[in-house]
Amino acid sequence: MKSFFLLALLTLPLAVGCGSAGESPATAGHAKAVSFDGSKFLLAEEPDDAIGVIEAREEAEDGEPLVLVGRIGGSTNPWIEGRAAFMLLDASISVIDEGEECEEGEICTGDCCATDRANCTTLVKVLDANGQLVTVDSRELLGLKESDMVVVAGNAKKDDSGNFVMLANGVYIRR
Amino acid sequence: MLGQRLLPWDYGVRNLFRRPTRSALTLGGLTIVVLLVLVVVGFIRGLEKSLSATGNPNVVLVYSLSSAADIENSSIPGRTPALLAASVDGVSRQQGVEYVSPELYLGTRISTANMSEPGMGLVRGVTTAAPLVRDQVQLVEGAWPHAGEVMVGRLVHSKLGANKKDLAIGQQVTFDGRTWTISGHFTAAGSAFESEVWAPLAELQTTLKRQDLSLVAVRMDSPDNVADVDIFCRERIDLELKAVSESVYYASLQKHYKPVRMLGWVVVALIAGSGIFAGLNTMYGAVVGRIRELATLQALGFRRRAILLTLVQEATLLACAGALIACIVGLSLVDGAAVRFTMGAFMLKVDSVGIAVACGVAALLGVVGALPPAVKAMRLPVVEAIKSI
Repeated sequence: MKSFFLLALLTLPLAVGCGSAGESPATAGHAKAVSFDGSKFLLAEEPDDAIGVIEAREEAEDGEPLVLVGRIGGSTNPWIEGRAAFMLLDASISVIDEGEECEEGEICTGDCCATDRANCTTLVKVLDANGQLVTVDSRELLGLKESDMVVVAGNAKKDDSGNFVMLANGVYIRR
Repeated sequence: MLGQRLLPWDYGVRNLFRRPTRSALTLGGLTIVVLLVLVVVGFIRGLEKSLSATGNPNVVLVYSLSSAADIENSSIPGRTPALLAASVDGVSRQQGVEYVSPELYLGTRISTANMSEPGMGLVRGVTTAAPLVRDQVQLVEGAWPHAGEVMVGRLVHSKLGANKKDLAIGQQVTFDGRTWTISGHFTAAGSAFESEVWAPLAELQTTLKRQDLSLVAVRMDSPDNVADVDIFCRERIDLELKAVSESVYYASLQKHYKPVRMLGWVVVALIAGSGIFAGLNTMYGAVVGRIRELATLQALGFRRRAILLTLVQEATLLACAGALIACIVGLSLVDGAAVRFTMGAFMLKVDSVGIAVACGVAALLGVVGALPPAVKAMRLPVVEAIKSI
């Protein structure tokens, strides 16, 4: 009888442990699935009146609603790892390999064109309903690929130093 | 059953001592080949270790956008560390101290007391925040540098081509028109920092008449937070900054040195190849001189396969003995030897991989080197072989 109680006593924490261990991955998995749902950020229809990155850099006002069109790229790595943010290049500019001679409307991926690239690219940050940057890689969240032509809707963020960032709440992929 | 067909194990062993000069010469040749393989693999492994040990996935390097991958050419505003600490979440902090290390990094000519010509060295201007970010750095002797002082890594003498004694604590080094006293020695777990001279940042800036920095190294709470520094740099294009994870930065340098590593492996293959040919040559000589003995063994009833195995056994024993000697010599003389390269200096590394490759080459030399001459000798008819001189 004593040994039975002892066995029961020893088994109890294991049983409790197993129960909680069994629940937590499922819960975690569910939470993950919710946070990975990028469909709410994908627009079914293309927004009107989109402007290019160069034009937006010059004309957009801080905080005003904006629709921006461009191609994902303009950098050796246009993605921010683990964040719903990416670099958008003005559609009129094409990128050539580093070391090749640039003609008008072209930039290379080398550091020689770093300043030019900064003028025709912008960072797009996809924000959630609370205005926080979504902490899921945009490739996973939205299924984006490099060189995809996208139209993003959201608000411009601009400061006196000339820094311009697109705070997006919706992305339309032209395919 | 199998034992009856084979020659006794000690027959092959005794044969080695029957011709001591030949065995010793063969052993010497094999040892040199295996030692060469060990040195080249040690070079490759040392280079790889130096670059991989330097990169920490939690640390992000922030430097100038237009400096390519060359931090020496980077120039960023002196206010960058404060801006980063204030603007980016996830920076490691302890008791109000942010793990943000402003650094000035340059390659310059450094001379010690007994150097006829200054050597090209690497100098890093640091603050007391540096060890918080570069946690592999350990002060092993002396003290942290104060005004007019520097501390030196354990491979600086190799990078400079200087005598190690000239870099002892209390000795002086001269660079950029100023003489600095050595206050301490540090190690950095085999990373590239070990070939650097660390000076107090403010002192170095005054000496160089510079207000700017080369880079800021920031330690984040988690590797995931490195992305936030990247976002900051891409948002603030007015600062013209670039953020790269330290591990990614040094991995890219590893790519840069890929041809060197490939060349190293080609050299290993060439040495092994030439070793096999030399072994073949020696074994042909050894077997030809024993044709009568081998034919006699056949006449006694031993199968050709058994005699072949004995010859391979002899060669493999010699090769393994050579590998053993080479590994002992390698571990005692080659392991830890410093080699200078553009990024600084690194130590040759005789590790398990090097020893495995060296032993593999030795086994290959033994087996492949012995087989063809043994097969050739076995093809001769017994009567003809017994008559041969």
